[in-house]
Amino acid sequence: MSRSGGRILRRAITRNGRRLSAGTALVGLFQACEAAIPVLIGVIVDRAVTPGDGTALALWIGVLGLVFAVLTLSYRFGARLLMAAIAEEAHRLRVEVSAKILHPRGVHTDFRAGDLLTVSTSDADNTSYLLDYVPRIVGALVATAVSAVTLLLISVPLGLAVLLATPLVLIVLQISAPLIRKRVADEQEQAGRAASLAVDLVTGLRPLRGIGAREAAAERYRGVSRRSLAATLRAGRTQSIYLTASTTLSTLLACGIAILAGWFALTGRITVGQFITVIGSAQFLVEPFGLLAIVPGLVAEARASADRVARATDAGLILPRGTAAPAAERCELRLSGVRHGPLAGLDLHVRPGEFVGVVARRAADAEALVGLLALPTGYEGTVQLGGVPIDEVDRDHARRLLLVEPHHCDLFTGTIAANVAVHDDRDSLAEALAAAAADEVVDTHPDGLDTPVAERGASLSGGQRQRLALARALLARPPVLVLHDPTTAVDAVTEHAIAQGIRALRHGPGSGFGTVVITSSPALLAATDRVVVLGDGVVTAEGTHADLGAADDSYRRLVLR
Amino acid sequence: MTARLPVATARQSWDWLRAEARDRRGEVAGTVAVGLLAAAASIVPVWALGLLVDRVRAGAGTSAIVGLILVIVVSALVGGGATGLSTYLGGRLGARMLADLRESTVATALRLPALVLDRAGRGDLLSRVGADIAAIGKAVSDVVPPLFSSVLLAVLSLAAMTGIDWRLGLAGAVAVPFYVAALRWYLPRSGPRYAQERAAVAERSQLLVESMQGLRTVHAYRLEDRHLRDVDGASARARDLTVNVFALLTRFGGRINRAEFFGLAALLTTGFLLVREGAVTVGETSAAALLFHRLFNPVAMLVFTFDEVQAAGASLARLVGVQRMPVEQRAGGRRPADSTLSLDEVGFSYDGVTPVLRDVSLRVAPGERVALVGSTGAGKTTAASIAAGLLRPGSGTARVGGVPVAELPAHTVAIVSQETHVFAGPLVEDLRLARPGADVADVEAALATVGAWEWVHALPDGLDTVVGEGGRDLTAAQAQQLALARLVLLDPAVAILDEATAEAGSAGARALEEAAAAALRGRTALVVAHRLTQAAAADRIVVLEHGSIVESGPHAELVAAGGRYARLWAAWESRTPTGADHP
Repeated sequence: MSRSGGRILRRAITRNGRRLSAGTALVGLFQACEAAIPVLIGVIVDRAVTPGDGTALALWIGVLGLVFAVLTLSYRFGARLLMAAIAEEAHRLRVEVSAKILHPRGVHTDFRAGDLLTVSTSDADNTSYLLDYVPRIVGALVATAVSAVTLLLISVPLGLAVLLATPLVLIVLQISAPLIRKRVADEQEQAGRAASLAVDLVTGLRPLRGIGAREAAAERYRGVSRRSLAATLRAGRTQSIYLTASTTLSTLLACGIAILAGWFALTGRITVGQFITVIGSAQFLVEPFGLLAIVPGLVAEARASADRVARATDAGLILPRGTAAPAAERCELRLSGVRHGPLAGLDLHVRPGEFVGVVARRAADAEALVGLLALPTGYEGTVQLGGVPIDEVDRDHARRLLLVEPHHCDLFTGTIAANVAVHDDRDSLAEALAAAAADEVVDTHPDGLDTPVAERGASLSGGQRQRLALARALLARPPVLVLHDPTTAVDAVTEHAIAQGIRALRHGPGSGFGTVVITSSPALLAATDRVVVLGDGVVTAEGTHADLGAADDSYRRLVLR
Repeated sequence: MTARLPVATARQSWDWLRAEARDRRGEVAGTVAVGLLAAAASIVPVWALGLLVDRVRAGAGTSAIVGLILVIVVSALVGGGATGLSTYLGGRLGARMLADLRESTVATALRLPALVLDRAGRGDLLSRVGADIAAIGKAVSDVVPPLFSSVLLAVLSLAAMTGIDWRLGLAGAVAVPFYVAALRWYLPRSGPRYAQERAAVAERSQLLVESMQGLRTVHAYRLEDRHLRDVDGASARARDLTVNVFALLTRFGGRINRAEFFGLAALLTTGFLLVREGAVTVGETSAAALLFHRLFNPVAMLVFTFDEVQAAGASLARLVGVQRMPVEQRAGGRRPADSTLSLDEVGFSYDGVTPVLRDVSLRVAPGERVALVGSTGAGKTTAASIAAGLLRPGSGTARVGGVPVAELPAHTVAIVSQETHVFAGPLVEDLRLARPGADVADVEAALATVGAWEWVHALPDGLDTVVGEGGRDLTAAQAQQLALARLVLLDPAVAILDEATAEAGSAGARALEEAAAAALRGRTALVVAHRLTQAAAADRIVVLEHGSIVESGPHAELVAAGGRYARLWAAWESRTPTGADHP
């Protein structure tokens, strides 16, 4: 797992190579100019201030201005290149994570929705910041090199002292990197947990409000937030101890060099101007040293995020890759001896043109059947679609042939038209809306089909959402349609109209469409050709609704209430 | 299209910050004191080295260095310790304020009136509790502590330069108007662009949340490519805005470099003139130049983290904006005389134009069970929401035992609506939301009442099984049973079920209806009934049509009366092919 985070980071560098290298070169030039400034200060003191030479002052101030100009321009263009690379990398990671989550073959992941949001936003950003850290590290190294060369030219022992002491200090400071990484990862995990909880509670706001549990929910969030705070403070303590050590060591290093130079100056080995350059350079070096010292912490943060990104993008796919493409004409669905969760050897055959009702004595059987057809995995026995095992059917094709509309329907931000005519198939839109009794929903809103739908359909009632979702399913005209309790939130009269609507739209003369409706609603069942009763995971009775109702007491109790 | 949640003005955000700082006066003072110590300790070595320059020029012996070494080493040690400590203190102060901020934001979000949140959409709120809190968190841990120390260092350095010679201080201060001009050029340009960037990020979050939460539907309709395209588009827009804002920032950086150059040139020239006059020494000029040069990095850091500070400021405005929203207050509560639920001439309209309820009056006696019947859109859910206190009536009042529902003590009325949600975490904790601290025996009893104990007991970890998002999936009927068990655990005098047995349409119907009946036992109950069997079992039935009550009475009476309900019942019965007995 930790290796995959490293892979993400390496790829970020290679695939942004051009911008990163050009940007880094320019930022390096910028750093070299920065390092030249203390040298120039020393020169000005030596050549102009000490002898009181006005011409020299004018000349060297001019040189100073030139260096500033190069410095400004190299930063401006270098940093822009780097920012473009960072923003592009974060965007690409975000799209990759989203593509993985949305992958039609389904993903194995232990992330919660809130965590996934964090991975696709904060973690993608944090990972891309590596492209900021790299040029900063390079720039710091360039600055160190320029200063070291300057110091070597002034005095070899001074230059050597810098070159030897710097890596030594950095190595000493590296020791604490694993601890910092662990603390930072813990901090991020706790923050993610708090974000997940906030998302979960806000999602369940209506039920919370209904039982007056909002205070209790706020209190629960407080608990998790406090744990997140404790983790942040723990990480802060570790980082501040590290900062104390790194600041003290780098200041001592710079001061040590300055003191050594002062001794050289006192003994006449270097000039006063050179002494000032050494002090300025040593002082300037504190910054790049300090940066190099905090690099482990920054990279650790990027690494922890990259690990999480990798966990999302490397997650395995659930369904196998299928290639078969059975014909859409007269497509049939056949389950034989299927075992899946509570299903214990289920046989179900939906022939072309057939309208089949399924009544489950146990709710879990119905859920398992719907779940299996939506994502056929983890079952024994055979599931055939158009005569081909469903595992072998191309996933995109399989979803064209078999549409499963779950009971908890999801609508999206947009308009009513965009939610129903998802593939812009507006020709038979009116027909589908009428069959689902959703025309009334459109009529009650002044904007009609263009009525805005708020996030997750929150602006509509449960019954309205249900009918629009049904209209969407009918409009898609799949060869095999599976509906799960499509009318639980509509009244009895409307339900009856919907049953007739489905029958008329999908099972007219010569229709080859198959429809399965999993329900215990007598209005829907009465419209079917055949009803299959599930009990304890197997078929226990089969027949028309009328026959079963007449002959089977337990069936009557189950549906006729 | 959707009304956005409010964003605080700059003044409101500052007010919040000031109030927070006032509440933590001691902590703030301690942090500033340690920060000043750190800044002062880092100035001392430069001053000491300036002194050394003059001693070198005066031809002093090597012994001149000894005292200075001591000063420098001590200040390095003190400075290092103080820097670490001030960073920790600053980070802690920020983290604590952030924790308070996110807690009160979430608490406010949870108390927002139902209508407000439905109009604004959850994505906006979720991006506030997610991305915005993260943005401030990053600013608090990465930006604020160095920013704080930079400001202190700049102030103390200028003071030290003035201390050497006031004219040197003045020369250094030449840079200040350039810095100010740069800021005045930058800020008005950057503000709107940051706002655009934030808005693009919010849109991106909303698309991500919807795609993830509606994944089954996205897959069923082969919409993954479109959703991905939308996410890609929104993310690309946010990316372009980010790059655009940054280009502006680099031009700002150029103006900062200009300020540095003019400041340094003025300082060196002034030093040159003062040395020629003999007013200051070469060492003092050198020390001043070095002090000034040393400010380059801290000030540049200040500038280049300005976008993060501003982004954090924008995020803060969005969080403070939520905090300042009016929330539903439930007063301490007046005790109701009894558990009679009454609606008196209640009227309601969502848009202020189309009435949803007109003069609805009804009374549910203590322990009575009344069913609300009517076609979709008749106003059943609205009436139930008003009775439960989720919506305020436009006219008229809803009372329990003579007390308006908004003034009742907590937990007098509860409603279980059609929207079920299984809260992520151990199952027992889901139920404890209804009664925090409830012991296991109570939880088990509540589950047993609604007939859920058997399957809960059979779960791998029983009550401790992790359910909901990221945990074990429960069926829709099981989720409904949990909702009813929460009601039992809460034990309100008045209970309202709004389509709470809608799942009775699916398998397990009988069990759920029995569970609902058990959960309502002994309570005053108002049931929004879609299944007429549910209505038939109630003590009394109220029929709503187009927002008005058209019929009211016991089942047998209404059937005999041959009105609207009788017709509904006939339609219901006709669905039964064998004309089975009434339940």
